[in-house]
Amino acid sequence: MNNIKTVLVVDDSRVSRMMSRQFILSLHPEWLVEEAVNGEDAIERIQTLTPHLILLDVNMPGMGGLAAAEKLRQLCPNTRINLLTANVQDATRNRATALGVGFVEKPITESRIRQMLAGLDE
Amino acid sequence: MFNLSEIQHDALVEIFNIGVGHAAAAMSGIVNEEVTMSVPSIQFVNRLDAASMLVNNESRRICGISQHYQGAFTTEAILMFPEDKSLEIVRLMVGETVPLKELTDMEQEAMSEIGNIILNSCVGNLANIFEQELQGSLPVYHIGTSEDILTATGDQSDAVVLMLHIDFILEKHQIHGYVAFILDVTALHDLQFQVDKYLSRIMGST
Repeated sequence: MNNIKTVLVVDDSRVSRMMSRQFILSLHPEWLVEEAVNGEDAIERIQTLTPHLILLDVNMPGMGGLAAAEKLRQLCPNTRINLLTANVQDATRNRATALGVGFVEKPITESRIRQMLAGLDE
Repeated sequence: MFNLSEIQHDALVEIFNIGVGHAAAAMSGIVNEEVTMSVPSIQFVNRLDAASMLVNNESRRICGISQHYQGAFTTEAILMFPEDKSLEIVRLMVGETVPLKELTDMEQEAMSEIGNIILNSCVGNLANIFEQELQGSLPVYHIGTSEDILTATGDQSDAVVLMLHIDFILEKHQIHGYVAFILDVTALHDLQFQVDKYLSRIMGST
């Protein structure tokens, strides 16, 4: 059985994308990590990609993470979506819950990435 | 300049203490070290006085990351570090494996992301305590003297700087950072209103 998973990291910060990629690949070197720089880019990427997990920043130029999560939820209902954001406000957390997406605070650490990947490799 | 009653001032310091505590946890996650932060005081000063407090008799250049927030009150939040510490902080963030050339290339972007995380951690928790929402802009990176940075962030002539001096103390590196909030007169009154609402809530009179 093919256990290689694909993760789409959506963040306007190159450093954040790089750190997410590093932590994911250190835990699962065989997995594929794809990147998008904002919501529009993420929606375009999933025309040709079916990720198992999407990590979404919230504050991005163009379409932000919450608007993107709403669209991505419809376009790929079987994909796990997690906000990974510095925006720690309860209002944002509540919107994530209402959209049925996960919420993890930045900064990006190995333990937070591990928490978001948990269960994907089963 | 701008006066708060003793209880309002005390509440505001306590609210910032909570926000800064969360920011310290965020900073610790970034640099992989224990970080303690202190909130010795908050002061309301004009921009020139704020700038002179920041330079601390040294004329070194500062790296600043600002974000504009609006909602329950409007403010420009600025995180500042001495420019010569910036690369060291980025190195702590991304680890030893990234080559120096690449590190230098990503310095500005990495500092913006650090500012984004720390300012949102602090401001986001303030919003939660006030039971309000604040919409933040994307981070903007500045380099210059403290005066350059404080005057580059907003054009309100009557603006007051709420100066919050934070010492970031890392176990192995002593790095001093500063956070300033620029508010105009309307914003100051909005902030005062939020503090009063918070005080009413915690005293059980709403």
